[in-house]
Amino acid sequence: MNDWRKTAAGAAPDIPAEDVEKIVPIMEALERTFEPLRAAIRQGADMWTPE
Amino acid sequence: MTGTMTISEAAAGLRARKFSSRELVDESLRRIAQANPKINAFITVTEESAKARANKADEELARGMDRGPLHGLPIAHKDLMMTRGVRTTAGSKIFADFVPDVDADVVEQLDDAGAVMVGKTNLHELAYGITSNNPHYGAVHNPWDLERIVGGSSGGSGAALAADLVFMATGTDTGGSIRIPSSFCGTVGLKPTYERISRGGVIPLGLTLDHIGPMARSVRDVAASFRAMLQAPSRHGDLSAPSRQGDLQAPSRQGGDRITVDQPGYIPPANVDIRGLRIGLPENFYFDRLDLDVAAAVRNAVQTAAALGARIVDVRVPDIDALNTVGRVLLLVEAVSNLRPHLHRRQDFGADVLALLDQGRLLSGADYADAQRLRRIYVDEFSKLWTQVDCILTPSTPTAAPKIGQTTMQVGQAISSPAGDAAGVTEDVRLATTRMMRAINVLGIPSLAMPCGFSASGLPLGMQILGAPRNEDMLLRIGAALEDAVGIRRPYPVLFS
Repeated sequence: MNDWRKTAAGAAPDIPAEDVEKIVPIMEALERTFEPLRAAIRQGADMWTPE
Repeated sequence: MTGTMTISEAAAGLRARKFSSRELVDESLRRIAQANPKINAFITVTEESAKARANKADEELARGMDRGPLHGLPIAHKDLMMTRGVRTTAGSKIFADFVPDVDADVVEQLDDAGAVMVGKTNLHELAYGITSNNPHYGAVHNPWDLERIVGGSSGGSGAALAADLVFMATGTDTGGSIRIPSSFCGTVGLKPTYERISRGGVIPLGLTLDHIGPMARSVRDVAASFRAMLQAPSRHGDLSAPSRQGDLQAPSRQGGDRITVDQPGYIPPANVDIRGLRIGLPENFYFDRLDLDVAAAVRNAVQTAAALGARIVDVRVPDIDALNTVGRVLLLVEAVSNLRPHLHRRQDFGADVLALLDQGRLLSGADYADAQRLRRIYVDEFSKLWTQVDCILTPSTPTAAPKIGQTTMQVGQAISSPAGDAAGVTEDVRLATTRMMRAINVLGIPSLAMPCGFSASGLPLGMQILGAPRNEDMLLRIGAALEDAVGIRRPYPVLFS
């Protein structure tokens, strides 16, 4: 699991600590749903482009 | 007058000289003055320029110059569309004093079609949300129940239509922002195929997710508006950054070569025929976690389509939850990219928008690239459905409009979920309301949102018809047939009594 507080500490301009605490649970939930999806990406798979 | 006519009826009345454009516009302005203190649909009303434009429209018609069905009709633009010489706030404090020196392409196209802009509509701040509870310009109130939200982000456009203030309004849709207000307001909205309508001159939120489209009070009104928005290519080329907002990157026409003159738009004829068309009814996802009255209204529409001769085909849709997750990652990052020059002005953002921007700042380039790679996989997977069906019919929102200020809501009993949670579940309003919306922006396919009934408490309920890329005509055809079968929405909200 990513350390979102550490990531936020490197943000510029700063994100105030109390605001970081509000979004950490959201980021953790997003990570839990996004991370498993990456397994479907095959080597060399291209990005989406408009038709 | 405005509230009782469709666009084609008004167009016929103007040409028969039963009334003038100036009379229509004066009535629209009068109704706005009466309704706006209650519903807050407009941020700016352009009374003087509207009257002058209406006079010009009348003069043109008198000398035989006919610009088409929208000629002389009062319309509104979402205040995300740049309007030359008219303040364009994006519902934001950041752009509170932004007066563009160019028109957005759609503004110019609708002006060329003879439409008369009477004002700029309120929206969720920066189009980044679905309630239209705007912290800087006030909440938009739903004409069906003033204590309820209109949805967003094109909430002012939805409210203006529901209150019969204009014949059509423009909207944008990055994760449901045309379709959600259409659902909550009992109006019709078209989110076309990605880039089918130019994004030039529209303040961007998510560059690969933003869609521009028409909102109106009937399917054929939407079709007429869509045609006008398609008719002309951009004459701007790339828009330069507006001079008074040096750090705003004006959107260029991404993939501009693709935005060319399209085929003339399709207006569904009377007695439109849908016999033999294959309408997909999802077996999975779309009827989970849904209020019972929404499910019943959508299934009634499906039965109506079957009675009209359409063939109903059960389909299994790919993983919509995964698509929604991909869409969230894309939008979180793209919004930061667009608003990065303003991130130091934290105090000038509303709390919800600021939290979303903070989230986007924590994601990495690899996260974004992976989301776009996943998007390609899901788009390819979803496109296989178009060999089985001509369109897919789903609910738009899982409930009727929640109350203003409500952050969570009880979503009714699951219908098709094996778990069958009879008590329903408590969900975040934003996530629940975008659940059936966001994936469609990731796919870039067209969706026609339209009313399908009323809740037990008399609030509008909505459904959406999805189609293959560039197949808007099919959606309009099916939508018109269903609308003809059940009648254009009635009753109207009683706002002026």
